[in-house]
Amino acid sequence: MITIKNLSLRYGDFYALNQITLDIPRGSWSCLVGPNGAGKTTFLKTMLGNKPYDGSISIDGIEVYKNLRNVAFVPQRPEIPAGMNVAEYVMLGRARLDGWGRDSNSSRKYAMEILEEMQLVAMRRQLVTQLSGGEMQRVLIARALVQEAELMILDEPTSALDLHHQISTLDHIERAQKNGTTIVSTMHDITLGAMYAERIIIMQQGRVLLDGQAREVIHSQELKMAFDDGITIHTLENGRPVIVANKATASL
Amino acid sequence: MKNSEIGRIWHWQITAIVGVVLFIVLLLGVSFGPISLDFQQIIRTLLGLSGGLQDEEKALFLQLRLPRVLLAALVGAALATSGAVYQTVFRNPLADPYLLGAAAGAGLGATIALAGGRSSFYAALPLFAFIGAALAVAATFVISGRSYADPAMLLLSGIAIGSFATAVQTYLQQRNSEVLRPVYSWILGQLTVADWQVVKWASFYIILALSVLIRMSRQLDGLLLSDEEAFSLGISPNKVRIIAIGAATLATATAVSASGLIGFVGIVVPHLVRGITKRATNRALFTVALFGAAFLVLADLGARTLLSPAELPIGVITAFVGAPFLLFVLRAKRVLK
Repeated sequence: MITIKNLSLRYGDFYALNQITLDIPRGSWSCLVGPNGAGKTTFLKTMLGNKPYDGSISIDGIEVYKNLRNVAFVPQRPEIPAGMNVAEYVMLGRARLDGWGRDSNSSRKYAMEILEEMQLVAMRRQLVTQLSGGEMQRVLIARALVQEAELMILDEPTSALDLHHQISTLDHIERAQKNGTTIVSTMHDITLGAMYAERIIIMQQGRVLLDGQAREVIHSQELKMAFDDGITIHTLENGRPVIVANKATASL
Repeated sequence: MKNSEIGRIWHWQITAIVGVVLFIVLLLGVSFGPISLDFQQIIRTLLGLSGGLQDEEKALFLQLRLPRVLLAALVGAALATSGAVYQTVFRNPLADPYLLGAAAGAGLGATIALAGGRSSFYAALPLFAFIGAALAVAATFVISGRSYADPAMLLLSGIAIGSFATAVQTYLQQRNSEVLRPVYSWILGQLTVADWQVVKWASFYIILALSVLIRMSRQLDGLLLSDEEAFSLGISPNKVRIIAIGAATLATATAVSASGLIGFVGIVVPHLVRGITKRATNRALFTVALFGAAFLVLADLGARTLLSPAELPIGVITAFVGAPFLLFVLRAKRVLK
């Protein structure tokens, strides 16, 4: 269980995160949605525990700040190192489990399985600097998956992927969730987010506007409010909700 | 080829080849000079077999050649490895002990030790050199501020700090004219006066620093990512940075206090290893160390034989190779992208 109490983060007078209180159950998938600048990425990065914050974020009662736990993180804009190939990059995700020494055979085997699942085997000797945006994103997720982490934090994990890879990648993340990993992600595509996450957390201006079951949140007034009434929710014949942005009418 | 697991990431054949090259270069190093020694006899002497070197030749080998060549190897390994580590930590392909001002700072520290101490102060020299080097690196880092990853900024800050340290050093040297000679001969390169005592303490500090760095090579790889990613992989970025800079600076300072200011090794060797292996990760650190050792033994061989029987300062040889190489790196630093 991740317990967040009165979490705030301030830059000068600006509150990037403002009094957030949340419980995230173990093994759940929570998806943060909200307009640009709502504080979603800041929230994810703060959960890592790398930087100080006000309030409390604890996992099973242990504060996350400066506490190196097995948390996988997929940033939206990773720092792409020169001169490192895909295999090496992915194996960094296993380094802690191998005690920072030589790669163990079991790690190399496990990494190969993940590369196969993610259809990355053929490019394992390519330098990561030579990958396309979508390939890099899948490699990043592969690195997160090999960590076998207790918590996986993903910032827009599918933003650079084509439709086929969006679904297959989210399926892999879902499999990790089924194996007990807690998932917290952001996703601009709320429809897609609602397909995978059972919980949706709406953020606006550093606050949590609403947090609850995906099905309920998606039909809430708060969701429309967060996007300034700029969205419409349709329901498909199979009962699945689809969220679309309204075309601006002012200019018509 | 079986596909059930990821292949070994680093190919140990490369390390082995560099190791063999180093061995050959070491043999060349002890054998050539104003008086040439026979390979076979050298090996027999080393193994304690009969038919080895005799009398003067044996003394020449054991008292002059061997310590000198070993010291060159140690210093080369130290400079090359700390260059590679600085490049990772500062995320800057041009970071190098010499260009960061560490070498000049170590020179200043060592001069203070020589100017202040009356007796032979050898064992304390590395400590003073270390403090000088650490202060110089810190100053370079602070001056370049947040733009330390910008090659030009770091380079210029390093040059400014280096010049300043050299100026203070020259002042101290002139004021304490009695240390002028030891300081000057020290700056030009101590390899000429290498003895077993120097080899002993230099190997202690250098092997200590390099084993720390090589052991943490995978954490260093983590520093190539963003701090948040590194943290999520189980690395405390700042802690790793401080330990790495400390160890690299200790190695640099020891190298400088043992052998004077020898430039460019920290740039040339890591970039050559990267160029050959096409990879920039710290798994190569051990190979970089071996390569650096071979490089400096070879440079020393050049210094001893090019104008034989006169000697060139070894820094002249490394600069002669290194300066054009630096220009090449400046132009081609996107080679790996």
